[in-house]
Amino acid sequence: MNKGYLCIVLHTHLPFVRHPEHEDFLEEEWLYEAITETYIPLIEVFERLVNDKVDFRVTMSLTPSLISMLSDGLLQERYLKHINQLIELAHKEVERTRWQGEFHALALMYLHNFSRARDTFERYRRNLVTAFKGFQDLGKIEIVTCGATHGYFPLMDICRESVRAQVKVAVSHYEKTFGRRPNGIWLPECGYHPGHDEILKEAGLRYFFGDAHGVLHGTPRPKYGVFAPVYCKSGVACFGRDLESSKQVWSSIEGYPGDYYYREFYRDIGFDLDYEYIKPYIHPDGIRVNTGIKYYRITGSDNKQPYNAHMAWEKAAEHAGNFMYNRERQVEYLYDFMQKKPMIVSPYDAELYGHWWYEGPMWLEFLMRKIHFDQKTIRMITPTEYLLENPRNQVLTPSMSSWGWKGYSEMWLQGSNDWIYRYLHQSSARMTELAKSHSQNHCNGVVKRALNQALRELLLAQSSDWAFIMGTGTHVSYAVKRTKDHILRFTTLYEQIKSGSIDENWLRDIEYKDNIFPDIDYRVHQ
Amino acid sequence: MAILRKVKKKIKDAVSKKKKIVSAKKISPRRAKKEISLATVKEIPGMHELVAQRIKFFTPQSPAAPRMLEELPGSFGQDKIILQVRDPRWLHTYWEVTGASFERLQHQLGQAFYSAKRILRVYDVTDLIFKGNNAHRFFDIEVGSQANNWYIDTNGPGRSWCVDYGLLLPDGRFIMIVRSNIVQTPLDGPSWITDEEWMIPEDMFARLYGMGFGFGKSSPVGKAWKERLLSSPGIASMASPVRKAKERKFWLMVNTELIVYGATEPDAKVTIQGKPLKLRPDGTFSLRFALPDGRQVIPVEATSADELETRTITPIVTKETKSHSNLRERAQA
Repeated sequence: MNKGYLCIVLHTHLPFVRHPEHEDFLEEEWLYEAITETYIPLIEVFERLVNDKVDFRVTMSLTPSLISMLSDGLLQERYLKHINQLIELAHKEVERTRWQGEFHALALMYLHNFSRARDTFERYRRNLVTAFKGFQDLGKIEIVTCGATHGYFPLMDICRESVRAQVKVAVSHYEKTFGRRPNGIWLPECGYHPGHDEILKEAGLRYFFGDAHGVLHGTPRPKYGVFAPVYCKSGVACFGRDLESSKQVWSSIEGYPGDYYYREFYRDIGFDLDYEYIKPYIHPDGIRVNTGIKYYRITGSDNKQPYNAHMAWEKAAEHAGNFMYNRERQVEYLYDFMQKKPMIVSPYDAELYGHWWYEGPMWLEFLMRKIHFDQKTIRMITPTEYLLENPRNQVLTPSMSSWGWKGYSEMWLQGSNDWIYRYLHQSSARMTELAKSHSQNHCNGVVKRALNQALRELLLAQSSDWAFIMGTGTHVSYAVKRTKDHILRFTTLYEQIKSGSIDENWLRDIEYKDNIFPDIDYRVHQ
Repeated sequence: MAILRKVKKKIKDAVSKKKKIVSAKKISPRRAKKEISLATVKEIPGMHELVAQRIKFFTPQSPAAPRMLEELPGSFGQDKIILQVRDPRWLHTYWEVTGASFERLQHQLGQAFYSAKRILRVYDVTDLIFKGNNAHRFFDIEVGSQANNWYIDTNGPGRSWCVDYGLLLPDGRFIMIVRSNIVQTPLDGPSWITDEEWMIPEDMFARLYGMGFGFGKSSPVGKAWKERLLSSPGIASMASPVRKAKERKFWLMVNTELIVYGATEPDAKVTIQGKPLKLRPDGTFSLRFALPDGRQVIPVEATSADELETRTITPIVTKETKSHSNLRERAQA
């Protein structure tokens, strides 16, 4: 009999970046890299586990903006072009490294991986969402939703109509995509503000995740800490994050990904090789970018040694064993102490796996195999399964919290990005005004289209990613431009709707550019 | 009349100046002041490049506006103040007051208007229905006429707050111009309220509390959180672990590659080191190799299409690398 549960959560998100007006767009690479390095490797891990009849559970949030990009024809087309380019480069690398055995073996590995990625991509008819849906239908993974465009809810509290729109648009998008209603939600940035659970309840959601201090500093005190979910007064459950298991993977100092045998992220041939040679495979403007071909391991000194895939796999297996051992001890201790089976919730950004920590998907696979075959103390579970088995839980109000820098809102509210809220809040208020004044469904086609587009623009402006990027200081000008563009488009629509003079050609143009959520209904913004 | 016009103009100038100039404020690290009960706000000089962009906001819109606005407006023509929570201790507020409102105040107050200070009055309104005069306590922050947003250190986790923006007259009277929404700061430690049915002894809770933060089993209540804050790694999706800083940044990297190229009849078969290669339609070929130290023997063999004739050319390349480095003391000028 098991003594506790482990719930691995992979938060899978990228902001909506799609620029049909440009042939090549630097920031679209975020998606292509994540597909090759994270999404496809994860799908392949799940496939192998299913084929080998390993029972496993993973909870994944696939954000509506990511789903929209993964199922977009233009981006699929562009990904294919991207991966074909990579395969061509890998072929050249196989030739170029002929006299350097270690590198030659790695070039062959990349050629093999890229070719397989293309096969997997084609196998799912270029829409990777169907792959994840398949694993959900098999009962192996549970997919939860997220804010429609990953807006950071605590800083939207002044206009809860927008929180409601973020949630409701996401839920109906989920239903359309997966053919059922979502049970849970990953609050963007794990950002909870007391009272927002009411909105989740309205949308039919049964649980969300909170950071550890959100639950631990809840009122009244949580009897089981973060090791059992709690109910908010609305009856929506909150699962608290366990920081011990998080740290083992996340920490830049003691975390697994920093092991010297693992692949070095920063040594990419896009930067290392001769400019003329690499030019066709970097940005057309000649900006050097990551190609994904990296030949070195972290090493621990500046004199980087060539990567050895076999040794890295051994390490990943060892680390998976270490993680499992630690969870077993943690669960045993807590079980004795709580007189109840503890629930360990370990959420991670999915893009950490593969993209940043190259061996991450492999580690996950080893971990799930080991848990299945080698022990009986812990059982992998999804939140929905847990609540079915453990319906009685304490009622409390978690405190405002996020999983961002310092645990609250500072990442998204600091000198570099605080200017945006004046505009975001004003636009939210205006959207509410529009939704109210057009609450009857008899507005004509163009007005309705304009209203729906206005909500799309507002949602796109609200992505927490823009404030985040401004806060970190890389790609800043793009994040500023996106924020401004969407607010300006929203404002223009607002004024045109109010004055009854909608410029239909212009509307068509932005509908084509910002084509997210085709079935949106502006009336959810109430 | 002329005097009045002048005064009006002065006010207008002041107001439009306010729109154009935005002061950037940052705050001191949260742990810098432990003992402070009233709020203070620190300014850090130097604006982020982003903040500079805000300066360009004000663009009047003519009725025959282009399809899309070109820039974000500097203001929305309303009197408004919004308050939001940053963390258990700090609030952020932004506001806007129209020129018309300032003019009205100038009329009412006369000369006193010019010697009035622009202040934020921050009220602690925890657990009460705020009527404007029944706060538990309040404190003032002078913000100057050009600021339009501010970070407020409340040093008060788990309490409710409301902020007025207004004028503090020399005689001590406060004229409220706009009043904010009410917000509540989160607790920065565990709640003192326990639930009878789910009660837990203090020492046991302390253990669970520490474990929840991944700090082992015996962390005193509250301490684990502070430890976490101190060691906060800055978790973020697009951020990457920090690269170690080197003492000196200077470096040199040299690599060599070898290009082997040539041409033959377009329909010939060519191998290089025994491996077939593909000719371009015009019969030329070019291959590029990373060139390590040592000796490379590179036979290139071409066989005619009728397989009657074979030609071989074998470049032999030897590479060796020497390196030398020298770090001088900087010469004394």
